[in-house]
Amino acid sequence: MDLKPKPWQHKDLLGIEQLSAHDIAQIFQAAVSMKEILERPIKKLPTLRGKSVGMLFYEASTRTRVSFETAAKTLGADVGAFAVNTSSVSKGESLLDTAKTLDAMKFDLIVIRHASSGAAAFLADNLSAGVINAGDGQHEHPTQALLDAFTLCERFGPGAPSETVPGTGTKTDYTKTVPDKLLAGRKIVIVGDILHSRVARSNALCLRRLGADVTFVGPPTLLPPEMACWDVTISHDLDAVLQGADAVMALRLQLERQKSGLFPSVQEYAKLYGLTVGRLKQTCRETLLLHPGPMNRGVEIDSELADSFSSVVEEQVTNGVAVRMALIYLLIGGGFNS
Amino acid sequence: MWLIKDAHVVDPAQEIDRTCDVLFDNTIIAIGTDLSDKDIPDDDSSLSIVNAAGKYLFPGLVDVHTHLREPGREDKEDIASGSRAAVRGGFTTILAMANTQPVIDNRGLVEFVLRQGERAKGARVLPVAAVTMGLQGNELVNMAELHKAGAVAFSDDGRGIQRAQTMLLALQYARLTGCPLISHCENESLAAGGSMRRGPRSARLGLAGIPASAESVMAARDVLLAQECGGKLHLAHLSTAAAVLALRWGKQQGIDVSGEVNPHHLIFCDDDIGLTDTSLKVNPPLPSAADRDVLLDALADGSIDMLATDHAPHAWEEKAQPFAEAPFGINAFETALAAVWTSLVKPGKLSVAQLVRAWSLNPARRFGVTGGSLRVGDPADIVLFDPDHAEVIGEGAWLSKSTNTPYWGQKMQGFPVAAWVGGELRADRSGMRIL
Repeated sequence: MDLKPKPWQHKDLLGIEQLSAHDIAQIFQAAVSMKEILERPIKKLPTLRGKSVGMLFYEASTRTRVSFETAAKTLGADVGAFAVNTSSVSKGESLLDTAKTLDAMKFDLIVIRHASSGAAAFLADNLSAGVINAGDGQHEHPTQALLDAFTLCERFGPGAPSETVPGTGTKTDYTKTVPDKLLAGRKIVIVGDILHSRVARSNALCLRRLGADVTFVGPPTLLPPEMACWDVTISHDLDAVLQGADAVMALRLQLERQKSGLFPSVQEYAKLYGLTVGRLKQTCRETLLLHPGPMNRGVEIDSELADSFSSVVEEQVTNGVAVRMALIYLLIGGGFNS
Repeated sequence: MWLIKDAHVVDPAQEIDRTCDVLFDNTIIAIGTDLSDKDIPDDDSSLSIVNAAGKYLFPGLVDVHTHLREPGREDKEDIASGSRAAVRGGFTTILAMANTQPVIDNRGLVEFVLRQGERAKGARVLPVAAVTMGLQGNELVNMAELHKAGAVAFSDDGRGIQRAQTMLLALQYARLTGCPLISHCENESLAAGGSMRRGPRSARLGLAGIPASAESVMAARDVLLAQECGGKLHLAHLSTAAAVLALRWGKQQGIDVSGEVNPHHLIFCDDDIGLTDTSLKVNPPLPSAADRDVLLDALADGSIDMLATDHAPHAWEEKAQPFAEAPFGINAFETALAAVWTSLVKPGKLSVAQLVRAWSLNPARRFGVTGGSLRVGDPADIVLFDPDHAEVIGEGAWLSKSTNTPYWGQKMQGFPVAAWVGGELRADRSGMRIL
């Protein structure tokens, strides 16, 4: 396995904000190799034997946590999971004291999900271990954005199979690409509750870094004008922006937002912003559909469409493990915190 | 008895802005050039003479907006530590807000604050009583009784009064006392859950935003209510351009309204906020850069009457949390004057006379409290200010019990080097050369 990392400069992965296009390409290059490993019959490497990764999840999450655990274990690391609701955290321990405890246990890397924006950065400030942000409040969810972009690059990037001749693809060598042009000229539409979405924020940053054009779509209450700050296009009319979209990402709608008056009814929302097979035809091309999951069928996406793109969802799950393996490797395997 | 020689005396009340000498005991005895022993009424052997060449001498600063946390949260601050930190920062009179635990809403507690202040021998401490019982926004406190006991203003500061009818009645009833009603302009339904000003920066950081309207609509409402009932209104900690517009409009209409601005709202803006720097988390939140410019213009042209610190001490562990969970507030007594000097006066955005008018004369007049001028016969509340004195904040003395200032560890320049309250030297960091 030839990962040949150029010097990796980051102790932590707190957000896409801190990553350059080059950093992202470096992660993808490692992820290509990791994905190959996942396709082997025996999926276990000794690379990180003796290293330990702690999982600190303050918010319920199954797929992200399991994805990280699988990634760490495949690389041979030990995994310690903290069940926050049964640990001293539920007895009122502060995040700072939890951080000090984790440091004393000599973890090499901590993966944190927390309801407060900045919680991962706060932990990183107070830990000598590396920190991966697995979602902090409404701020960032960088590994989700990286796996989404990796999936898009597989489909659209250099070395991707031709859109007209199936089966022509080769593995991309990201060391030979221009990182900030990986997705140049591609149009990505992200639709839903942008305001409250860390996935939308990280994706906007990541896709713009790689040269894609990004359009945010949602009702004005969930997409206020200041959300244009990532140099993205803002629209409230989904049908008007679908044409020419290479990929559409539907965000999960938190149904309780309706109760706080942010939109009048789920029915009206689905009518205006729900993705359907018919609606997606307006792109006039083969469009990749992404959803960070879990889905509300019949709200942001209708069932027929959801079922028709299940293969991509499975691909995303595999890519999620590969990208997280790549990150863990870069952070504590060959790189900075080792 | 003190004779301060060759100080640059700035006293806007008498339009003095020149080098001269000041002689005082408990009260100001004389101001003039070349005062000497012969100007002293009797042969006073206790005379101390200070050479103050190169230093400014002001009437002591008057801070109408402070949180001293006693009773209830003496771990953060108490009246003794707060009033001593205040006088070290150049403040000779401070108004203590009522949002303590319990709330200052009865006569016993008003008298308690006064008595603790007298014991502390720091700045003069004057109580602000609550407007409504327990800051609940419903029943009014016994305003006449609390005024008689020593309250100099009324405020539910810390919370806005949400019901317009309650605010109207409070403004009306407070006329009995002649005291200003201080409005903490915050609409809770608009501000709900936010931790910084809503805008591109909050969007970027993923922090729930507080829209400017949360303050502006309440400022506009209260100015209109004051117009309707002839009440005496003071708008606390202004932070939005539209609230300034409401204040200006109110003054043009002849409404009895005044306003204050906090140094941090003139010096920082929302773009300065980082995800883990909770020392800049404050309520109202730091303004946009554009609104900050409006606030500064309004202070310079007198539309905003005064500066006030909104000194808000918090325990270290409370601020050592993720941004959204940390409490609002900046510890300001011992840094505010240096901050304003460095950021506003030195670059020429505010003259020394404007500074003294806004932080001494205007607040003393508006609230009818001691201080604000150096007229012969006035109590000798005096600050000696050295524009060259530099300190690293946190190295050496620090009198507040808390350290939640964005300036911690930073070098600042321009400090009060001595302060007298009623002629008594209560702060001295100069190693003053007494001749």
